[in-house]
Amino acid sequence: MLSYFSRTERLIATLLVAIVLIYIGWRAISSPEQAMQFGFNGLSVGAIYALMAIGFTLVYSTVWFFDLYYGAAAALGAYSVFYLRSQEWLGGQYQVNTPVVNIILAMVVAGVAAWVIHTAFYGRFKERVDATALRIVGGALAMAIGIYTGLVLTFPSYLHITFGPVAAVAIGVAALWGIKYLYDRVSGGRGPRAGLLIAILSGGALAITLGLILVNSPGSKLYLSWAVSCLLAGTVGLALYRGLYVRMRQRSRSPLIMLVASLGILLALTACISIVFQSAPRPLPDPFGSVPWTIGGANIKGFNFFAIGTAIAGFLALFSVLKWTSFGRAVRAIGDDEEVARVVGINTTVIVAIVFFVGTAFAAMAGILSGHDTAIQPRMGLLLLLKGWIASVVGGIGNLYGAILGGFVLGLIEQFAIWDLAGEWKDVVAFGLLILFLSFWPQGLLPRK
Amino acid sequence: MNENLPGWQRLTGILRDPREALTLSRGNIELWANLLIILCALVFMLLKGATFAVTLTTVFGIWAMLSISLNLVVGYTGLLSVGHIGFFGLGAYTVAILTSTTSYENLRTGEIPTFGWPFFAALPVAALVAGLVALLVGIAFNRFRDDIYVLVSFGFAIISFNVFLNLRVLTRGAFGIHDVARPQIGSWVFDTELELMLVSLVLLAIVIGISWFIVSSSFGRVLKAIREDEQVAEVFGYHVTHYKLAVWVISAMMTGLAGGMFSSWTTFIDPNSFILLESILLVSIVILGGLATIWGSLLGALAFVLLEEGMRFLPFLPQEYVGQARQVVLGVLLVVLMVFRPQGLVGRFKL
Repeated sequence: MLSYFSRTERLIATLLVAIVLIYIGWRAISSPEQAMQFGFNGLSVGAIYALMAIGFTLVYSTVWFFDLYYGAAAALGAYSVFYLRSQEWLGGQYQVNTPVVNIILAMVVAGVAAWVIHTAFYGRFKERVDATALRIVGGALAMAIGIYTGLVLTFPSYLHITFGPVAAVAIGVAALWGIKYLYDRVSGGRGPRAGLLIAILSGGALAITLGLILVNSPGSKLYLSWAVSCLLAGTVGLALYRGLYVRMRQRSRSPLIMLVASLGILLALTACISIVFQSAPRPLPDPFGSVPWTIGGANIKGFNFFAIGTAIAGFLALFSVLKWTSFGRAVRAIGDDEEVARVVGINTTVIVAIVFFVGTAFAAMAGILSGHDTAIQPRMGLLLLLKGWIASVVGGIGNLYGAILGGFVLGLIEQFAIWDLAGEWKDVVAFGLLILFLSFWPQGLLPRK
Repeated sequence: MNENLPGWQRLTGILRDPREALTLSRGNIELWANLLIILCALVFMLLKGATFAVTLTTVFGIWAMLSISLNLVVGYTGLLSVGHIGFFGLGAYTVAILTSTTSYENLRTGEIPTFGWPFFAALPVAALVAGLVALLVGIAFNRFRDDIYVLVSFGFAIISFNVFLNLRVLTRGAFGIHDVARPQIGSWVFDTELELMLVSLVLLAIVIGISWFIVSSSFGRVLKAIREDEQVAEVFGYHVTHYKLAVWVISAMMTGLAGGMFSSWTTFIDPNSFILLESILLVSIVILGGLATIWGSLLGALAFVLLEEGMRFLPFLPQEYVGQARQVVLGVLLVVLMVFRPQGLVGRFKL
């Protein structure tokens, strides 16, 4: 997409932007305390946009179509935190935990688990083991996972007991893989087996310690509910990918048709959320206490730091995975050319499925943070999604650095804009910024190479 | 039998040989969709009585105007705009501001001017305002395509909603505008449902006429060429940007007309009628009915109105969930259509 504007016009636009920036700078110098406040708010909001934009960029630069479910995932994540925690927050005034929802979610999880087990293990084992036995074992496993999900959802007040050990084991396994990977890299893959043993031992020790801590601390339920929510949103994303997008990609539908289909999903899911939870906005309590710290004359909540930290940590994790693992190379290959990636032997279906899962989990995390920051309502997803998209356009479509930079830039600009304008106009500012960028700098701040 | 024949031509074939109705080939979906929706509409109107049917027709007229004018942009030119609700709102607000005579000094501090124009004087102005804004917006949007176009049109819908909500000097913000004038010629005030239906249908006829003229002229053929391949149309010497801008402005003007009719019909408007969700519903109507056919848009609007009103009478559905249930049905329908029949029920073009 080329810019239709001449050099002079772009120069004039650049000058105008520079004038605005100088004006903001002047305002900041004349009242540094307020500037500090606005800056921190901007970074905190920007972190949410950045999380949205990172996941969005991951998905978009792999499959190159605009998946609106990604917005619903944000709302789904935030609402499932509310679903799991409302019993304690509202003290049973508002009974939202219904068996119907639990059963539906458990069935979705079981179905996705069955598919994952099938794609991951069936082909590998079917030569050696009897196919029927394999199917029965796989089905039983998937059903067990579904029943477990149902249990976790039905007893949210025992989340630390039901889900804590699982989370600990997951973290332990991740640590095991990480240590093994590093060990292999350092030793060039030819080191003695003892390294593997050390990895297993340390991973196991970590899992047991963490598991004991989690089971014995009811305060961890909030964080566990975040994890459950991200997993749920990701699983629904995976289900949609398998049930819908794979089918549509097989029929080689155009990106615009996939967009409209995901529009239908967004419409239906948003309505489902507002049927279950009603459409009034609901607050999620601040997890770190609402007493602000005063730094340089600005009142800064602990939550702001947490949001910024989460965005940066998410970025670093995703970035290192994409840069240094074979999975990351496969993702980048699919983003460049899916046909060729398939020809050289990459299992594109599985890789894209993982991308969908991870991307929607990011969206869910952004939704949760945004819910804790302000409030949740069924329609929040679309606006968050659009902000995430704007951020990725501002940063440069398809570039991870651009996504995080764009998120923070968008958040800062929104906040500094409502310094002079009224707060209601910040969406207008965001979309104005989008149109400005698309017209004059369609490549964004950091173009994709 | 030819697969590409439109529904009514197949009907004659079925009359000749009834067994053809049973062959559920792809082309027959059109016929079944037509028959089913129209039959549902007839049965529904017969069951619910004349007054209800009249109101239903008025609503249908407004949605049909909207979907036909959006179809010019989405179906014929291939620009997936999700922002048309903005023009609808512009038209509605123009008529409301120009005709409403109620002032609100007790509600707000600043005095808000009232004009007290008659409806038929305000309606062309509404179309003009929508067209003017569309011209400006279109100049900015003309260079975008595909999903970027969707994004910026989302942006337009959100910006216009924010303007309606926050530009309190003109729009009175969330209070809305009361007492929008009903259509009036001389001393004849169109204030019964039947007369309003008449106005709505006349406006719909005008919109259909203009759209039909555009579609069947050489202008319309250039639009289709742009949809199929913009660069080829450019190579053949057409100023693609001018054509896109022209159809965008015409479509926006007709949408503004529908907006004016809407605000006069409800006599009260507030920003909540022009949220992004309504725009998404509108796009789904157009796609549901069928891209690049005027008849498809009419059918889509009819199906939507039936869905909206019909669900109100489902016994097992609590009243407060009707709106959401409608969205669920529409969303699922959209997904199913996109998988199996991306051109919509009677469409001529796949996105």
